[in-house]
Amino acid sequence: MAQRNACLIAGGMSKWGVRSASLVDVSQEAAKACLDDIPGFSHKDIDGFLYATSFAGRCSFQTNPAPVMAERMGLRPTSICARVDVLCAGGSAGILLAKGLIESGMADIVMVAGGEKLYTPQKWEVFYSELASIDHDWDAPNGLGLPPPFFALVATEHMKQYGTTKEQLAKVSVVNYNFGADNPKAQFQKKLTMEEALEAPSVVTPLTLYDCCPITDGAAAVIVTYEEKAKELSDRPLVYIRGGSQVSLHSVSANWPGEHLADWAHLKVAAQKAYEKAKVGPDDIDVAETHDCFTISEVVEVEELGFCKKGEGGPFVEAGNTDIGGKVPINTDGGLLSCGHPFGATGLRQGIEMMKQLQGRATHQVEGAATALQHNLSGLNVEHTIVIYGREPVK
Amino acid sequence: MAVSGIPLLDDKYPVTMDMWPVEDEQFNRIYQFYDNLKEGKFTTTKCKSCGYVSWPPRVLCPECYAEELEWTELPKRGKVLTFSEEVRGVPLGFESPLIHAWIDLGQKSPIKKFLSRIINCPAGKLKEGDEVQFVVFDIPAHPKEVKRETVMSERVFFAFEPVEK
Ligand SMILES: [Zn+2]
Repeated sequence: MAQRNACLIAGGMSKWGVRSASLVDVSQEAAKACLDDIPGFSHKDIDGFLYATSFAGRCSFQTNPAPVMAERMGLRPTSICARVDVLCAGGSAGILLAKGLIESGMADIVMVAGGEKLYTPQKWEVFYSELASIDHDWDAPNGLGLPPPFFALVATEHMKQYGTTKEQLAKVSVVNYNFGADNPKAQFQKKLTMEEALEAPSVVTPLTLYDCCPITDGAAAVIVTYEEKAKELSDRPLVYIRGGSQVSLHSVSANWPGEHLADWAHLKVAAQKAYEKAKVGPDDIDVAETHDCFTISEVVEVEELGFCKKGEGGPFVEAGNTDIGGKVPINTDGGLLSCGHPFGATGLRQGIEMMKQLQGRATHQVEGAATALQHNLSGLNVEHTIVIYGREPVK
Repeated sequence: MAVSGIPLLDDKYPVTMDMWPVEDEQFNRIYQFYDNLKEGKFTTTKCKSCGYVSWPPRVLCPECYAEELEWTELPKRGKVLTFSEEVRGVPLGFESPLIHAWIDLGQKSPIKKFLSRIINCPAGKLKEGDEVQFVVFDIPAHPKEVKRETVMSERVFFAFEPVEK
């Protein structure tokens, strides 16, 4: 078998938000949207299926969801049919795994889908279940790593170490919300002003309402195949999965890898590895999706990904570098802040936006985008996952 | 103890809904940590072979893979480096304010920086640089089956609290 190069050829999402729909419902909606993205292709030709979810076991009482979802989507996978759970990075992990499956010849056409149904009949349950996603015996009893308090610690530390301001955090939400305002699948279609962002009610000081992504129901799905098959199935420009990385160096309260909480050494390692694998550098990235679960996350991420120097994430964002026309437009579909965050589906949404950017069909198109990067933080900052795409394969 | 909507779970203990660890020696190999905790000691495991002290305690040295580990004490005082206070919207399981702090246990400690909850502290009182100390508290006991009997397994857990209250 000749060397294979994996390509992302199609993708689609259910509507994201507070949904009157179950996990299997939104997953079927995503499969339909994904297949609609590639006219003429039959779902019956999919031989591999990966399903990314984290809370299916808790909020839908559904462990082993992959065969259930495959059946409900009318799929008959014969190469692989498995669940992927890396909390917020399940989708991007699925894309990396699909690349391996395709390039090894283990599978030919893989659907990576993912979803969460987080709104349950009583609202306390999803928040309580978050205690199951941190290190149970050591962190759950004290709520260590719960999202708003943890990222408030990061923001406080970043402000102290580097002089980052509340205005700089607000700028992240303004840019991302205004991108998402034009995304019909996003949880919010809301234009946001600096004034609104700065006057929003407090969540955990220094974070206020628009600094935090919401709780979201939703699903997404993509198709990954090899170059020759991609050409056969689609007339669109090819989007190669050039490389990526997934790095885990610690577990919530145990062995934090940085000097302080705003020093994400594990993301720096992930970035180096992903750039090396994809044979590109941070200056080659034309457009990116970063994991803006909180505004402060995006500020730290642009630093550790090498888009600016360490400590300069605030000024970098404030100067408009993440907007269209800036150095690296980021989260051009709205990011987590505006689209919402159904954990297992988020990496797939990001992949879809990166694919559209490289095919020249994004709503907020970056002209001539040739290299794109998506990043996920997951498990309350215990892992970082990166996927890099290009219009050309790695040579 | 009724479980609303699921009458068949009345009087049952669902471990899948328990935010606290199952500390009983029947269910883990590091129960000595909890026994030490009941005596007010803050301990973890140290490798007898290479001397590496790991947090949290475990049954395998993460450095040299030796399985012969011993218990060692950690410092019970530290200084607050950074903290966050959740006052409104505190999730089920915690009382307001839910305070989390990044604590400096000192250069002599094998574990230098420690993330913990701060309890026994009103909102707005904690400051960076404040001294905090290890504190042990009771958490709910859970039932377990011993032959045909049901007995209660008592539990404790730990956090830090301000030295000056
Ligand atoms: Zn050892």
